[in-house]
Amino acid sequence: MDYEFHWNIVFQNMPELLNGAFVTLHVSVLAMFLGVVIAILLAIAKMNNSKPFCYVATVWVEVARNTPALFQIYMAYFGLGAFGIHLSPYVAVLSALVFINAGYLTETFRGGFQSIPATQYSASKSLGMTSIQAYRYIILPQMLRRIYHPMTNQFVWSILMSSLGILVGMSELSGTTQRLQSLSFRTLEFFIVAAVMYFVITKLVLFTSSLLARRLFKGEI
Amino acid sequence: MIRKLATLVFACAALTSVSATADQLDTVIQRGTLNCGVVLDFPPMGYFDENNEPAGFDVDYCNDLGEVLGVDVNVLNLTWGDRIPSLISGKTDVVIGSTSDTLERAKTVGFTYPYFVFKFQVISHEDKNIDSFEDLKDLKVGAALGTTYETEYLAYADQQGWGRDNYTSFKSENDAFLGLYQGKVDAIISTNTNIATKLRSKEFEEFVAGPYVPNYDDVVGIIAKRDETAWINYLNLFLIHQIRDGNMNKAYNKHFGVDAPADLIQSLRDNK
Amino acid sequence: MNSLFTPLSWSDSGLILTGIWNTIIISVVAIVVGTVLGLIVGFLRAESNKAVNVLFGSVLDVLRSVPLIIQLILFSTFVGAMGNPLAPFVAGSIVLSLYTMAFMSEVFRSGFESVSPSMQIAARSLGMTKWQTIYHIRLPIGLRAVFPSWLGVSLSVIKDSALVSVIGYMELLRTSEQLISRTQQPLEILIGVGIFYFIISYPLSHYGRYVERKMAI
Repeated sequence: MDYEFHWNIVFQNMPELLNGAFVTLHVSVLAMFLGVVIAILLAIAKMNNSKPFCYVATVWVEVARNTPALFQIYMAYFGLGAFGIHLSPYVAVLSALVFINAGYLTETFRGGFQSIPATQYSASKSLGMTSIQAYRYIILPQMLRRIYHPMTNQFVWSILMSSLGILVGMSELSGTTQRLQSLSFRTLEFFIVAAVMYFVITKLVLFTSSLLARRLFKGEI
Repeated sequence: MIRKLATLVFACAALTSVSATADQLDTVIQRGTLNCGVVLDFPPMGYFDENNEPAGFDVDYCNDLGEVLGVDVNVLNLTWGDRIPSLISGKTDVVIGSTSDTLERAKTVGFTYPYFVFKFQVISHEDKNIDSFEDLKDLKVGAALGTTYETEYLAYADQQGWGRDNYTSFKSENDAFLGLYQGKVDAIISTNTNIATKLRSKEFEEFVAGPYVPNYDDVVGIIAKRDETAWINYLNLFLIHQIRDGNMNKAYNKHFGVDAPADLIQSLRDNK
Repeated sequence: MNSLFTPLSWSDSGLILTGIWNTIIISVVAIVVGTVLGLIVGFLRAESNKAVNVLFGSVLDVLRSVPLIIQLILFSTFVGAMGNPLAPFVAGSIVLSLYTMAFMSEVFRSGFESVSPSMQIAARSLGMTKWQTIYHIRLPIGLRAVFPSWLGVSLSVIKDSALVSVIGYMELLRTSEQLISRTQQPLEILIGVGIFYFIISYPLSHYGRYVERKMAI
């Protein structure tokens, strides 16, 4: 093999890489948060029988689930640009991720809600609970337990997909890696380190999520 | 089975021992094909014409090189990031891809003498009235990710204390021009040659070329594997002949519409 | 001198069709190879003891925790640096197949584990051998249960195949990018690309959900 590894240049640029990793985490957390909020609204719209809302929600969900993430990001960046709507790379990636997260989570939430039999609600009412109490103590806790795992997966997925920011010049972990490697031509070294960083980030997220689950659900999930 | 394997191993060993004495130059001639990497995302040096075929100054250089070597030419389309891996892996014998000859990069690959010199320039919509580099202060500026002009602009912006909030990176040169065309950014930094080519098209008729990046010439070389010195020697002589035999001027004229400027030729002769 | 920008024309349809064909080919390769490998690994994981599982699990874990785009760049650069340059199609197929395998093996493992032990004991007590039990009971029942998830993974592979463009494979998205550069008409071209993926993915994902609902009843 003809390749000599030069690691010191990677260590010299560590602060920039860590900064990129921070942006990655940042955009994924924000995309998850906004995605959850919108997904709740869309799930309500889909279960509600008012036609226009249900229609919008269905189109959103189907487009988000049936087209590639890369396409969504290009669309948000250059597609909207053709209309004179100019998003920065960060906002373009963020909105594409929010769009997709919302699309997938809508179905998760709807499934989670529908999995709880309506009789439980009437049972709680007959025990003298108010509607709010019934939701707070009976319905929502069960629902949360069912959607917790899919939500964690969706979050990990957003972290990994935010790497597509490389294709619109965003300075997250992949974009920063790409810039640094083209300045020094040390492709392998920089991308190996980036891969390790992604791995560590995902593992940390999964670890935190299982700790949280243990507290929330007292071990039973 | 074992005998077959053993034959294979011997064959491989024999081949490697032959190729250990044959250098890249021999390999190319014996193979009869030159694998020439070009970045086809950087008009007029490399791009796809209306038939979706590779064209441009760098592609012409590949063909000229193939001709003097007496071999067929296989032009490979590379991204900026592909250039080094393609060389190291042997996918390309040489990359004629407007590669800035920085000392940092020369730790990884071998450079020839310069074969072209770019100036970095600003292009913007004519309303923006950019006369000097200072006028970029409050404008949204873009450039292609990982290019030397990006580095130069950012260094300048940092030095002036402008911050990086107004700066946008693009994945490629084409994306940067598309962003400018759409109005995502007010101005982009690119090479004078690329800008001059774009300005001749109908799409960019409302745009104007602005000031040059102060005190900077982008000197680019052909790259090959770092340890292939004999091959790099040959490529150096090839570059000298390109100027002497008039091929350089011919390619320049074809892609820029005018003769190569005397100062460009002189600086290439001086190997600056 | 050639003009730089030319509008989209009928002569580009050949290029677009090549892009579509390349997308289909690499997706099919990845799904087929990924399914076969995933079936084997999933079965081994469901069958084997803890040590083997940990070993398999950690390799698959890496494939699932590093972005596909990074895996593609790393793999194609790495094999190149080792002196075995691979064509973009080959390198892309290998990475995409292994990536698919990582997800498929989980799907199949859960399928095999869903077949209750008592059913297997019942089969054995009817005089079936171990392999007969696997072949007649665990495989058919386990596989049927996971069909919707299998379809889900396959659809995401078709969509993820767009990423192979980063190592230079001329699939649909990279083809369209080249056309966008030449025509400066991103919107029309991108919408066309979106419609293509949608037409493939939408009916299949509906079918998957239909099967899932039918099985739930």
